Amino acid sequence: MRTQSKLYFYLIVSALLLVILAVVALYTGVYDFNGASPFSVLGQLIKGDPGLALNDKYVIWDVRAARIIMAILIGSMLAVSGTSLQGLFKNPLATGEAIGLTSGATLLAAIAIVLGGHFKQYLPEVVQFSLVGISAFLGALLAMMLVYRISTSAGKTNVVMMLLSGVAITSIGFSITGFLIYISKDEQLRDLTFWNMGSLAAATWTKNIVLTVVLIISYIVLLPKGKALNAMMLGEKDAEHLGINVEKLKKQIVIITSLMVGTCVAFSGTIGFIGLIVPYILRLLFKSNYVFILPLSAVLGSILLLTADTISRSIVAPSELPIGILTSLIGGPVFIAILIKFKKSL
Amino acid sequence: MKKLILAASILMAVYSCKKAEGAKTENTTETSSEAPKSNNKIVTLSGGITEIVSALGHEKEIVGTDVTSTYPATLKATAKDLGHVRSMTIEPIMAVSPTLILASDKDINPDLLGKIKSSGIQAEVFKQEYTIEGTKKLIADVAKAIGNTDYQKLNDKIDADLKQIQPIAKKPKVLFIYARGNMLMVSGKNTPMASLIGLAGGENAVNDFEDFKPLTPEAVVKANPDILFFFETGLQGAGGNEGALKMPGVAQTNAGKNKKIIAMDGGLVSGFGPRLGEAAVELNKLLIENTK
Repeated sequence: MRTQSKLYFYLIVSALLLVILAVVALYTGVYDFNGASPFSVLGQLIKGDPGLALNDKYVIWDVRAARIIMAILIGSMLAVSGTSLQGLFKNPLATGEAIGLTSGATLLAAIAIVLGGHFKQYLPEVVQFSLVGISAFLGALLAMMLVYRISTSAGKTNVVMMLLSGVAITSIGFSITGFLIYISKDEQLRDLTFWNMGSLAAATWTKNIVLTVVLIISYIVLLPKGKALNAMMLGEKDAEHLGINVEKLKKQIVIITSLMVGTCVAFSGTIGFIGLIVPYILRLLFKSNYVFILPLSAVLGSILLLTADTISRSIVAPSELPIGILTSLIGGPVFIAILIKFKKSL
Repeated sequence: MKKLILAASILMAVYSCKKAEGAKTENTTETSSEAPKSNNKIVTLSGGITEIVSALGHEKEIVGTDVTSTYPATLKATAKDLGHVRSMTIEPIMAVSPTLILASDKDINPDLLGKIKSSGIQAEVFKQEYTIEGTKKLIADVAKAIGNTDYQKLNDKIDADLKQIQPIAKKPKVLFIYARGNMLMVSGKNTPMASLIGLAGGENAVNDFEDFKPLTPEAVVKANPDILFFFETGLQGAGGNEGALKMPGVAQTNAGKNKKIIAMDGGLVSGFGPRLGEAAVELNKLLIENTK
């Protein structure tokens, strides 16, 4: 029980930090609400004040709030997917980018955009997003199954095989996506920086609703799996003896992480390293206790991405830095740190 | 990292484009039949559109522009520079509280377009065609959008300017090279440069693709242009005439052998606005000088 209350304490503290950051983010931006504070403008909006200027309403709600919520949702899902993948592969290097999920998702999303472009105008917005989202999910799932098949036998993952098959899938995905972008006339696809560096600038409430639905479904399945993942660390045989249905657990992780990574990629491009940094930081604090790091990564991922996004849109105002630059800047050194730390065991 | 360097160099190139030009501002102080609405706050997101709005006498109403809006130079002091339309986001646009947003369908980032549409601010996205007729239509459309119907004089000026173009007996083949950082792109069909080269009595050297493609040495040799054509800033960035002659494949072409390199102001070449005639005449003069 003590662990329970300790976990809740950490969750509440980090959730508070996230709320503070969200407020800071709400106050950050080049638009000036004629001297009024963004908070009071948001208050007016919630009360349905008719005196609220249309522009103020649009900026606070459809630009800033939408973007903050998107950063929270995507950051959270990327971190949780990283944590669960590391539990599945029993290895701290397993992340969506490292094993090729992200590029699989990008590839199929790009194909969906190219093909979907022909009948885009006849589809409602929600269907359009779902089409790209579903394709991205399938791309991630295919990549995941491939990597798992290649690198894992009899419940043991060969790390070198895992990373190399990830490299192979990434390079195939990158080359085909690059070719599609090169021949494409489609404006949406031509934005290479979006696919390579990610961006939250296109946040809308429609996207946020889709993301929220995916997040809720995913977390209902994944978040209670902390104990099971801890048992997996002992080895799959021992986990079976403890009454854990290992095969089912693995299938669930494969499908749910693909779903999360795929959806995030479809809406925000490739935002790297969140799934690597967050579990790493949490491991430093709580060892590999998934009962702690799985739920906490959900909040810490949001904190990290929201911070990165707020910096990205204020550091070079009025334009903005691609957010992937910032996350990779933090992520690269962490990756090297992990390599050095686990040098002997890899 | 490479991308970052590329992005930075593009930004530098873009900012270096924004040098003040020779003062050639036209005075449009004639009173139009309709008094211009002066309570408009306009954001113009394309060099050509910015020029049209200014030439119609509404320069004072422009509160924000994109980086390609380098003319008239006086705008620098009065309008906020919002960056490049490919990477622009909505909030800085909203921050100048525009009542009207005017953009070209070329180059604009689709996410931004979606955001502009959902912002509820009156916005017009014009289809831009790089022809004389297309330019005149754009002028008429922009004039309607800002509620000023007195645009005929701009079209007349274009016609008057175009009359000054001297025919060139043997059409020179002109290759436009767009130097961005260390990426060299050449312009194919349906680009403002190809169109302007045609108007000025030359022939665009590569016509087997549309838009811009990276330059390959073989393609340059095969196209064998008589003249190389640059933006002034691009030529500076490439190391001036010396640098241009060292570009892969150039030495083997007529242009390289005869050292025929010309450069013009980027905003003038690609604007396709009220100064279209001027641009064509200037290029025509340059072509004649370099085909002797």
